[in-house]
Amino acid sequence: MNNIKKLIFLSLLVALGLALSILESLIPLPFIVPGAKLGLANIVVLSTLIVFGYKEALIVAILRSITFSLATGSVTSLFYSLTGSLLSLVAMYFVYRFLSKMFSVIGVSIIGAVFHNIGQISVASIMMENIKIFSYLPVMNLVSLFTGYFVGLSTFYTTKHLKKIFNL
Amino acid sequence: MTKWDKYLIFFIILSSIIGLSIVKSDISKSDYKYIRITVNGKVIKKITFGKNMIGKTIDIRTKYGYNKIEIGEGKVRVIDADCPDKLDVKQGWISKPGEIIVCLPNKLTIEIVGEKKANDKIDDVSY
Repeated sequence: MNNIKKLIFLSLLVALGLALSILESLIPLPFIVPGAKLGLANIVVLSTLIVFGYKEALIVAILRSITFSLATGSVTSLFYSLTGSLLSLVAMYFVYRFLSKMFSVIGVSIIGAVFHNIGQISVASIMMENIKIFSYLPVMNLVSLFTGYFVGLSTFYTTKHLKKIFNL
Repeated sequence: MTKWDKYLIFFIILSSIIGLSIVKSDISKSDYKYIRITVNGKVIKKITFGKNMIGKTIDIRTKYGYNKIEIGEGKVRVIDADCPDKLDVKQGWISKPGEIIVCLPNKLTIEIVGEKKANDKIDDVSY
């Protein structure tokens, strides 16, 4: 694939991630846990990781976080979403690269979701200087199982067709 | 789904349950409880529960934002806030020690803190 085509496709993915993030912030989740989200943007990041590679996924993840905080206008949320998505991307990369024989896309996505939680809660507890926020982590991880499964399944079907289109 | 996926899901469920039970057991040890309000890591208010406090509302105005909390019988909640998503309001009442309401935009945490019984402390130091 030539360079300009890749550039256009990556910017489309960033726009898609931004749209999904805004969409999911409009969906109220019937969960008790505050701050639990579907993590739809992870579909885009994980698809990029699988179809293109690590560098491209990093670009998409960072740009999506920045454009989302620009769109919603909250600067503090930039730290949370950036740390969470970067940590989850690194975890997903290592699992996908080295352990892909053991875990399917669903497993990779669940690990990404769990590390996203860990990153966000760490940032929250550092910013609030309160270690007790970690008591949210078990509940968040349980919710992550369902959202991560859903995201992994969506990514599986998305990448199946994306790979066909681009002959990668 | 491979079998490792299932192991992973099982492991996460197990660790979450263990984590939850640790949090719970930490709660049940305490006897006397009070509310601790923290803004940006600094404790700004400690409120003890009492009959005269039931139904009282307290305004918390800091340079980070505005929150209004209501105190009930051994419980507390946020009823108004100027943060955009109002997750702290949606969370509702908290009553057990160790439970916590967090408002990230306003850097506010409202915790219920439990003090251990006086007897326990003596047991800890006497050999």
